[in-house]
Amino acid sequence: MAQQGDAAAFERIYRLHSRRVYALCLRMVGNTAEAEDLSQEAFLQLFRKIHTFRGESAFSTWLHRLAVNVVLMRLRKKTLAETSLEETTEPDEETGGPRKEIGGPDLRLTGSIDRVNLQRAIEQLPPGYKAVFVLHDIQGYEHNEIAGIMSCSIGNSKSQLHKARMRLRELLQEAVRDKARQDRQTARSETAGDD
Amino acid sequence: MQCQEFEQVFEQQEAAPLPADAAAHLGACGQCRAMVSDLEAIQAAARGMAAAQVEPPERLWVSLRAQLASEGIIREPAEAVHTAGWLSGWLAGVPRPALAGAYLAFVLAAAGLIAVQSNLRRVEMSRSTPAPTATAALDSQLTTVERRTISAMRQNNPVVNDSLRKNLDIVDNFIAMCEKDVREEPQNDVAREYLYGAYQQKAELLAMMVERGASGD
Repeated sequence: MAQQGDAAAFERIYRLHSRRVYALCLRMVGNTAEAEDLSQEAFLQLFRKIHTFRGESAFSTWLHRLAVNVVLMRLRKKTLAETSLEETTEPDEETGGPRKEIGGPDLRLTGSIDRVNLQRAIEQLPPGYKAVFVLHDIQGYEHNEIAGIMSCSIGNSKSQLHKARMRLRELLQEAVRDKARQDRQTARSETAGDD
Repeated sequence: MQCQEFEQVFEQQEAAPLPADAAAHLGACGQCRAMVSDLEAIQAAARGMAAAQVEPPERLWVSLRAQLASEGIIREPAEAVHTAGWLSGWLAGVPRPALAGAYLAFVLAAAGLIAVQSNLRRVEMSRSTPAPTATAALDSQLTTVERRTISAMRQNNPVVNDSLRKNLDIVDNFIAMCEKDVREEPQNDVAREYLYGAYQQKAELLAMMVERGASGD
């Protein structure tokens, strides 16, 4: 019915999938206004192309592929614009991000990750890693589904996910170190104030 | 087994149990145990994020629906049945001067839209006047067009009037939500764009009816 332009059918499709599409966009960009914009763009593309859907893949896979592509395109455009302004550090070959500092002690993250820290770290991931991490670890998709959505192999999906988690580990460790450094400075300035 | 080999095996295993040699390495290597424990902590935190439900705001559907309607991608089933009947019935009953008046008012509204857009740009630059004040002129022009169109319709089929009212109500609700957002966050570009979009959709809805009336569809 949606392929014939039935408004009620469109609404049913929207109500059924909007929460997951919006959540995907929100976790990927970390900003509600942009997530709304991206969700609308994804559904617009879906409804513009719905007459071409032939049922070769699951409808939700098809929709999520569209949504992921819309978000990735936006993020890649943004990354390009930002890196042209921030080429002050030599980029890491794997992640495209700034090369990490080596030499700090390994920190255990157990018990130190909260939702805010994690969202902040996710936002710093390269777009491809971010998509796989959000789809698998937050939205609960299996690797075979992600392979369908991202048009890659299952092995590739697993490898991207592992790299995403490893990069998050580094980012979260940096955040823990920064916090410890700030706490030390605060304690030092309080002690100096007492003297 | 070396740490690097362990990592390669580990990344492909997911939930499956580790092969014996990898498990033995994990038992003996503190660095790899720390890595596995950290990655498990990250996964657990991600599951916590998943549990926190996020709902898309209702305005998203209203805006999407209006956009789809303006592109002619969706149609109302009830409207489709009545279209030929109600439009021709309504247009036959509307005096030509009323149509001309409505058309003229629409042209004024479009001109108003352009003027208000440039006003808003100025407002944005000066950051002194909130957007709703600048859009008040456009709102009143659209209301005038709407009133004329509705009064021209009064003598017609009540089913037709209901259908038009329903469409206008959808757009008016959308405008009200957008105005609220702009009032709350006057500097939010996305909120202002939504508000423009809503006004344009209302103008397009009224213009489409006037246009069809002029061509005698």
